[in-house]
This record gives sequence, C-alpha cells and structure tokens, in this order.
Amino acid sequence: MMTLSNKNKYFLLIISFGCFIACLYPYLRLAENTLTLNLEDKGLLFSLQRVLNNSLTKKAMLNTLLVSILTSIFSVVFATPLAWVLSRVDIKFSKTWTTLFSLPYAIPPFVGAIAWINLASPSSGLLSKVIGENVLDIYSLSGLVFVLTSFFYTYILLSLLGGLKNIDSSLEEAARLSGANGFKVFFDISLPLLWPNIKSSALLVFLASAASFGVPALIGSPGGIYLLTTRIYMFQKMGSLNGISAASLLSFFLIFLAILIVFIQQLLNKNNIGSVVQGKSSRISKMNLGKNQKLVQVILFSLFSILFLLPIMSITFSSLSKVQGVFSFSNLTFQNFSHLIFEMPEFLTSVKNSLYLSVTVATVSVAVGLVLSYIEVRTNIFGRTLVRSIPTIPFSTPGTVLALAILLSFGRRMGNISLYNTLFLIGIAYFVKYLSFAVRTISDGMRQIDSSLEESSVLCGATFFRRMVDLWFPILRSVIISAWFLIFMPCFSELTMTILLTGPGLETLGTLLFQLQEYGDSGGGGAASLCVLLIGFILMINFVIKKISKGSYGL
Amino acid sequence: MSSLELKNIQKFYGENHILKGFDLQVQDGEFISFLGSSGCGKTTCLRIVSGLENQTSGTLTMGGEVISHPSNNIFLRPEKRQIGMVFQSYAIWPHMNVFENVAYPLKIQKISKSEITNRVMETLKVVELDGLDKRMPNQLSGGQQQRVALARGLVARPKVLLLDEPLSNLDAKLRQKMRHDIRKIQQDLKITCLYVTHDQLEAFSMSDRVVLMNNGVIEQIGTPDQFRTNPETSYVKEFLQ
Repeated sequence: MMTLSNKNKYFLLIISFGCFIACLYPYLRLAENTLTLNLEDKGLLFSLQRVLNNSLTKKAMLNTLLVSILTSIFSVVFATPLAWVLSRVDIKFSKTWTTLFSLPYAIPPFVGAIAWINLASPSSGLLSKVIGENVLDIYSLSGLVFVLTSFFYTYILLSLLGGLKNIDSSLEEAARLSGANGFKVFFDISLPLLWPNIKSSALLVFLASAASFGVPALIGSPGGIYLLTTRIYMFQKMGSLNGISAASLLSFFLIFLAILIVFIQQLLNKNNIGSVVQGKSSRISKMNLGKNQKLVQVILFSLFSILFLLPIMSITFSSLSKVQGVFSFSNLTFQNFSHLIFEMPEFLTSVKNSLYLSVTVATVSVAVGLVLSYIEVRTNIFGRTLVRSIPTIPFSTPGTVLALAILLSFGRRMGNISLYNTLFLIGIAYFVKYLSFAVRTISDGMRQIDSSLEESSVLCGATFFRRMVDLWFPILRSVIISAWFLIFMPCFSELTMTILLTGPGLETLGTLLFQLQEYGDSGGGGAASLCVLLIGFILMINFVIKKISKGSYGL
Repeated sequence: MSSLELKNIQKFYGENHILKGFDLQVQDGEFISFLGSSGCGKTTCLRIVSGLENQTSGTLTMGGEVISHPSNNIFLRPEKRQIGMVFQSYAIWPHMNVFENVAYPLKIQKISKSEITNRVMETLKVVELDGLDKRMPNQLSGGQQQRVALARGLVARPKVLLLDEPLSNLDAKLRQKMRHDIRKIQQDLKITCLYVTHDQLEAFSMSDRVVLMNNGVIEQIGTPDQFRTNPETSYVKEFLQ
C-alpha cells in the first residue's frame, strides 16, 4: 500500500466523491419526482393508483417481461448449439464463421430494426414484395423479439465461446475415452460446466431487452406494442410535470427489474461448483463431420444470410435506390448519400457531436477510471471498494431511466447555469453510464502489477502525478486503450439516453438516424444511407482495434 | 485386456517433428513406462494410443486389429477404442459426485442400473474409496481425486489403461503409497498399462519394462534390471546418474 501526502489524498477523495454524486444523486431526484406525482390535485396515492391501473401501463409491463423472457430463451436456444458447432466441430473456416456470427455484437440493434422494417414491413417491405403482402409483419411482438434476438444472442455466444476455450480439455477427453461421442460430451460435460455462463449471460440478455429502446420504439410503437422504456419516453415527451412524474414512477419498475436481475446473478455466483485441479489445455479434438461438412456449411451460410447478409443487403439496396422498392439498374443512384452528406446540415452536426462526445467521454472516463482504480488497488483509504461498486449502479440501470434521472437532476437551472439542452448534459449521461467499464478494466489490469514497481519510482523521487504519467499510464497502456474503445464504441452510436436529452443542434448519429426513420424522408433512402455509413465505420474501427491489439480485442 | 503394437509411428506438429519412428510391442497384461524429460514425446505417444491425437504416419494395432493407419484412412475414434485413461490433472468432472464420475463409462454403454451400482461399488472398493461415493469432487483430497480418476479408468474393464503422470500432483509420501497401489491393482486385474512419467524411481519400481525416450526417439527399451546392468547409449548413462 502507498502512503500518500494529505494533498494527494484530498485530490483522490474529491474525485471519487464527485463520481459518487454523479452516480447516485440522479436516483434521489428520480424518487423525489415520483413522490410529487399529483394527478387532478388528488394527491400521491390516488395518482399512483391511476398510473398503475392504467391498462396501457399494465400492458407495457407485461410486454416488457414477455419480450425479455422470450428474447433470452430464443437467444440461449440459438447460441448454444452454434457455440458447439463453432468450437467443437471440425468445420472449415471456423475462425471466419466465429467472427461473422459475433459481428452483431458490435452493431447497434436499432440499425437492425431499420433494416428489418425495410425487409418485412407488411406492405412495402422488400420481402413482402417477393412473397406477398401482409404475410410478414415486422410491427408485431414476434418481430420485436426476432430483431432483439438477432442481436442479443451474441452475448450468450461470446460468453459460451470464452467458457469453452477455458474448460480444461482433459475433462472432455476423459469423457470421450469413457465412450461418449462428441455430441454427448457436449451435453454431459461441457454444457453442465458452462451453466453459470449460460445463466448469467441469459440474465444479461433479459436486462438488455428490458432496457432496449431503439428497437421497441421503431418496431413496437408503430404496431401499438409499448414497453416500459417506450412508455417512459412517451410520458417524458408529453412535457407536463405529471408526465415526467409518471415517467419517474415507471422508471422505478425498470430499476426494480434491474436490481432483481443483479441480485439473482449474485445468488447464482455463490452456488458455483468449486473448480478442481486445473490441467493444461491442449489441442481439443474436434468432431469429424465427414460427408456432412457441406450440409453444415450450407446451414451456417443460410443462418448468417438471414441474420446479417439479408438486412445489410436490404439497407444497401435502399441506400442506392432512387425510388424505394424498385428493382432495376436505372434506379441505382448515389444521390441518397450526396443528399445526406451535402444537403442535410444535421448530418455534419451529428457526426461532429457524436465524435466530440464519444472522444471526450472516453478520454475523461479513462482518466478518472485510472485515478479511481488507483484508489481501489493501491491505497488503504476507507471504503475504497466503493469506487468499483458504485459505478456499476448506473451501468446496470436501463439507459432510458438513467437519462431521465440525469435530466431531472442536472438538467434544471442551478443558479445562473443551466445544462438543459447542452452537449455537456449528454456527456454526463454517457460518463456516468460507462464509467464502470473504465474502472473495472483498469483496476483489473493494475492488480496484475507488482507494487514494487511503484515503490521503486517513489524512491526515485517521483511525485504522485509523475507516477501516474510516467509509470501507470505506460504500463497499463494496452488496458487503457481497450477501456477507451470499450467506452468510445457504445457512445458513438448511443440512442437510448441521447433521445431524451437531445435538442435542436444537439443531434448525434443515433438520434439523427432515429429521426430520419421516424419522421424524415418518406422514401427511407436517407436512413438507410446513414445505416450503411454507420455500419461501415463500426466495422472499420473494429478491424483497427483487432489489428492494434493483435487480436485480443475486437471481434 | 489386450496386446498393443506401435509400428514406425511418426508425428509432426507443423514443422515440429515430435515422434521420429516409434516402435514398440506391448504384451497382454504388461506394465510399460515411458520415461523421459519434458518435451521428449512421451505424452504425445500416449495420446496417439488413446486416439485423442492421430499419428502423421505409422500403424497402431490393438489386440491384433489395426486401429489407426493414416495412409489407409483407418482411424478408430477414441470413444470406440475401449481404453481407460488417467490424466495428470485427474479430469474429475466437478458437477458429478464420485459415484456419477465412476459410473459414467458404464452409463454410456447402457448397462442396467443395478449392474452399474454393483460394478461401481466394486471398483471403488478396489481403489479404497468405499463410502465416499456421495462426495463431490471439491470435498476430496488430491489423493482421493486421483483414486476416483483411476476407478473411472478401470470400471469399464478397458483393453488398455493409460496413465499420464498421474502422481505428479501428489506429495512425496502419498506418491509412494499410490505407486505401490497402482502396481498391485494392475497385477490383480492383469491389465495392460502404459504409464508416462519423468520420475525414474516411479518408472523403475513399477514397470515390467521401461521405454526411455529422448527428443522423439527411443534410446532404450528394457526391464529395470537391463537398464542398471546394461545402459545402451551415453544418453541413457547420463540420464540414470
């Protein structure tokens, strides 16, 4: 442990208190707002009953539960056999397939929603034109669950693939030599050992579905299917005091759901089977396919086409179409792109805002994360573990709720300053939401480094700030870079929180895309073009991260 | 129980030549140790016999039947070879109790429940674990886990039992007892055994014959006595010192 001068100690304490306030104060304001709910001047109790008895509200709760449960189940059902095939069956191009099936992890789901509306809206969707109108209806509960599943299954897939890589291979080999074939080994040995992974990632999918906003707003709302998040958004957009109070009330249901999930998760972690002596992992013998190789390749290709290729092709097609839905060469054009880039001033504003916000927030979060991690790992300040646990609270809070709470607490007039309708307010929301990424990644990295390194630099006379800049930053560089991208990526295409905090001139890529799709050009070419640009950019960044980190980060 | 023949076994990992023409004949019921320093190819050889890996070329025969011969496209999958194996890390399944671990090979063979119970209990008695059948692996000591692994390897009455440095994670005193016990069980059941170790004492005190390996090549095959009286190469002499 480091002994610090008082001056440095105060500095550390001020930073951590600042973060604690930013992370916790919003919840107080949210509670306060709920308690001031007063419909028709008949007091709180009456208003609570009124909101809760509202059939739309009840429906929203039920829908949220139903959609989240179904998405979790389908994700597990789809991802588990896929993980087995990708990791334990001798398929050709298994590395490429793994990357391809992990891709949806990096892409914001609302882009998928736009693509699927393009494909399967009952009257004008491209697929509907091929197989007949009103056969497919994306604006339905099943459509909603389908689109969410087509993104969130990656949570389970990645967790399972990670787990399968870490299983001591002799556990599976012992089963093979006991006479079990590849399939049986997976069912009897690997799968039971990976239960903790499946359970915790399924809970994560549940939480992500319950917290999702973009997909239910684009797909659910037009079909009259509201979730808690989209109801909260509606109430907040009403603008009245009671609307905001009702939104706060619904927020507590989502918070309650999140707490429940985190609680269950911790309960599950306790019951883990203790690990037995770990052996070296040698090459895993994969199940030989023989004649079925071609069949499996065809199945993988069809799945990938449905999940990824088809939606991508549909928006690419849209973005290149003069008139939507007409298949002909003369209909091809780049004018959607040129219109978007050169004639729509909001486009450049949104690119600037998104870049500015995500770069600033990622940088600030990483710097603050470094200091907070230092407190947790290297000092004996009382209550130091709080710097790790408190930022996880806003992180697991659904974005819609967090944004509302931040709007209520920092968006109002404070003296002469008002942060309402500023990028700064959006920045605070991003910072609070993703600070946990920085703290966890960096403090895990810091823990690996022996304290003698710092002690020797103290003996050389380095001050606290010099040690941060000269020692910790260079040593932890790769960890810091990965934490930076971990925050940069979701901020760059953030929609859920931004939509509640944005205003004129504050467009980001996420909100611009949302507006284009919702109210914008009726043709749909603009939204599609922006999707294509966004996906291209995300894939490019992902490729760069993978190159820089030599494969340890990125998909 | 079965004899075993390895004929001109070659193994490459990419450019790496791990086994450079390995020849060995194992008699029915014989106890053979593969001795050598780490990286000499002894574990690879064991894994090739088990079928967990396939040789690049060469013939593997068990009980007179060719079970692997790459150039003729013959390869009997590991689960069909009726081989028992004890791993260095024990590889006890942490989600099953002792009984379930040992019963697993029999369960795969779809043997009746009462028969499974009988044979598991019998095998647990052989490895001196009677009474511990309900325990979970994390409630067992290292030595007990080792015995579970041994019981699981023996329970299906395999043709050959393979042991990959089974004692290296145990303390010295326990190791001595286990050496004695494994040898005794092997002789009682008259089971063919291949035993991989880097410990000379283990190899020479347990085996009928020892195969001393170096860098993918067999330096000498012989009984412990033959090694003492007649070390064939300078490497063998140096190794034994």
